[in-house]
Amino acid sequence: MAQAAGPTTTPAREVDTDPEVSADLPWDVIVWDDPVNLMSYVVFVFKRVFGFPDHLAHKLMLEVHEQGRALVASEPREQAERYVHALHGYGLRATMERTS
Amino acid sequence: MSGTFARNGDRIRLQLRPPEVELLGRLAGELRTALDAPEPGDPVRSRLFPPAVLGDPEADREVRDLLADALLADRLDALAAVLELLERGRRSRGRLVVDLRDDEPLLVLGALNDIRLAIGARIDIETIDREQVGEDDPAAYPIAVMDHLGWWQEQLLVILDGRDDTT
Repeated sequence: MAQAAGPTTTPAREVDTDPEVSADLPWDVIVWDDPVNLMSYVVFVFKRVFGFPDHLAHKLMLEVHEQGRALVASEPREQAERYVHALHGYGLRATMERTS
Repeated sequence: MSGTFARNGDRIRLQLRPPEVELLGRLAGELRTALDAPEPGDPVRSRLFPPAVLGDPEADREVRDLLADALLADRLDALAAVLELLERGRRSRGRLVVDLRDDEPLLVLGALNDIRLAIGARIDIETIDREQVGEDDPAAYPIAVMDHLGWWQEQLLVILDGRDDTT
């Protein structure tokens, strides 16, 4: 079983010093298509993770399915990480990248 | 014949035939072993702990390190919940019957998904054209299992959606 990292083992998070990429510039959260996750499951996950209404969750699921990917959120880094964490927990392929 | 999952008042009831009990127990146990003691290069690991950040390898490593322990613990909890249900169930008319409590429906949903993802990773499902898989193909049985568990997921999702559990 994985252990929780104690204070002595937790690396200090590097402070982002580059002004161009620091602070609150948003990160895009992208969900990618995969052949295993059910369409109904992806809709369910979008509703739970983002609180999207049914029609929006459904529209984004179809975008993932038909176009291979969909932008589901643009948020500051920590929130984007929370979304990626939740989506990975549900087994979706999700990534974040700096908003271009 | 009633379904694998059915509403029972405000609870959700799981009913499995003996071969399904054996199948689910075996798959959950195998995935737990694969996660607890990962073999080098096992594609299951990379599928369940996928890349997190694009375009910045350092940030990707940082975020994946940050998430790995919690993701692993949650996955093992869900598998443990499934195995516990199989222990807890009672026999009724040739089936194992168990009422799910609290967050167990979600744990089961997630564990079923993880098991399907693991099967898919092992057979490299991304490269398989399902139309071309004949019954003698080595991928035929794993795909049939994935579909069967997917059918369970669909049943559970219909019930969870009906409960409006998402709000």
